[in-house]
Amino acid sequence: MSKGNNFIEYSIAGALSFLKESIFADEYATKEGFLQSLDPRIKVITFLLFISAILFTKSITISLCLYAICLALAYFSNVNMWFFLKRTWIFIPIFSLFIAIPAIFNIFTPGEVLFTLKLLGLKLIITQQGLFTAVLFVTRVIASVSFAVLLSITTKHFALLKVLRIFGIPQVFVMTLGMCYRYIYLFLEVVENTYLAIKSRVGTRLHYKKGQQIIAWNISSLWHRSYYLNEAVYNAMLSRGYTGEPALLNDFRVKSKDWVWLFFTTVFFVILLYLNRK
Amino acid sequence: MNKVIFELRNVCFSYHGKFPALRGIDISIGQGQKITFIGANGSGKSTLLHLLDGLIFADKGSIKFFGEELNERCFSDANFSRIFRRAVGLVFQNSDVQLFCPTVKEDIVFGPLQLGIERKEIESRLERVTSILNLNNLFERSPHQLSIGEKRKVAIASTLMINSDVLILDEPTAGLDPLTARHIIDLLLQENQSGKTIITSTHDLHIVEEISDTVYVLGQEKNIVATGSPEEILRDSRLLEDNNLVHIHTHRHKDKMHIHSHQHLEHHQ
Repeated sequence: MSKGNNFIEYSIAGALSFLKESIFADEYATKEGFLQSLDPRIKVITFLLFISAILFTKSITISLCLYAICLALAYFSNVNMWFFLKRTWIFIPIFSLFIAIPAIFNIFTPGEVLFTLKLLGLKLIITQQGLFTAVLFVTRVIASVSFAVLLSITTKHFALLKVLRIFGIPQVFVMTLGMCYRYIYLFLEVVENTYLAIKSRVGTRLHYKKGQQIIAWNISSLWHRSYYLNEAVYNAMLSRGYTGEPALLNDFRVKSKDWVWLFFTTVFFVILLYLNRK
Repeated sequence: MNKVIFELRNVCFSYHGKFPALRGIDISIGQGQKITFIGANGSGKSTLLHLLDGLIFADKGSIKFFGEELNERCFSDANFSRIFRRAVGLVFQNSDVQLFCPTVKEDIVFGPLQLGIERKEIESRLERVTSILNLNNLFERSPHQLSIGEKRKVAIASTLMINSDVLILDEPTAGLDPLTARHIIDLLLQENQSGKTIITSTHDLHIVEEISDTVYVLGQEKNIVATGSPEEILRDSRLLEDNNLVHIHTHRHKDKMHIHSHQHLEHHQ
């Protein structure tokens, strides 16, 4: 497609690479490591305890300790540190840092003066309380985001979906989510192949209006395919005895290692709550 | 004579009431038989298999399953529906349609779980089926990570898990490499020897002789144009040519060029 008019090409390539990277992340879930060896249900419960502890804590030290535990867990689960830091520090913590910056000044958080800045004739006072609030906010965000990311990359996506059932989510909802997960990749392939087919026939030069027409036509074609697939998949389900009330496989097994991990995490959580009250 | 499982009389079907897919189909399928439907693309093979599996229903004519009429009403009876689904299994032409679960293992056990089969029984079937098809190392994989051959094997495994008396397969060897295709044919023959009825649709004439006692040829008019033993059907070059099942091509023998229809019956003689 012609230079300057290839935003569609970039958008498709970007979306595809993002989804592919999500598949790549599944590689950590299949590796051997500490978190991968835990029962997904226990893992989700203990991670929720960690995230709750982060939300309840009023101490930067505890928040940083929890972040250190998260990094240690990532290390013992054979997660590449550079990949993990890149994934957790991009966007959310950086944006939270921008959000937190105004809080350090006395305009938003009055308190004891830590030091004064003079910028374009404006006198800006950074307060001790303001700085504490901002640092606590950022450490909380980075620690909770890290736990959430670590959970998602060390657990197979479908296992995470199945864990939803322990929170009372209806089976049919869990099954529908599972099917979405399954077919997103099928359509991803279709989009990729269609894009390559267009490229092979039109070369690299194409008027942007024509490009828009082709893309619009492909969106409609994809919709038709998904509509057909929807009917065909439903028939395949009926053929194997589906009657509207799905029965799903529950192959989770809680081992003694899981109970020990749950016990220690709960004790740790209770201690943190106690320290927080002091 | 073997018990009749399916009996079709003057069955007609059209999509959206406008596009005819089958016309005047008369078939009788007995228990333990090997039946094959052959025909060119668009001749109505898949539609016929879907009718046999009770997924769509005839516009005209009757389809009987063990003497009982198959229609939408009888499938609203949960008991009949369960009995029928336990008795008849269909392997779809497009494996991506059949493999809708996030993992191979969940797909394989989906049928028995819906049909209320006991957990222990599911586990023993799982062990048997996966060892036959050598699928043990694919359990945790997602269907999108499989090759076409693996997908087809998993689709067959998911149907075999139901342990149905009737096994319907829509083009089971299409697009597969020769070794995988051979493996699947051997499996079908084995299932037939254990008493199961095998109903297959294909336009691959190489496999017809092995997997059929009776062959039905579907024509462009969406009707059955011939019925017979595989030998009778495969010998009738004119019939095969008229129905786009063999092609005429030119090739060289030493320094001579030949033009003739291309079929493979001679390989089996």
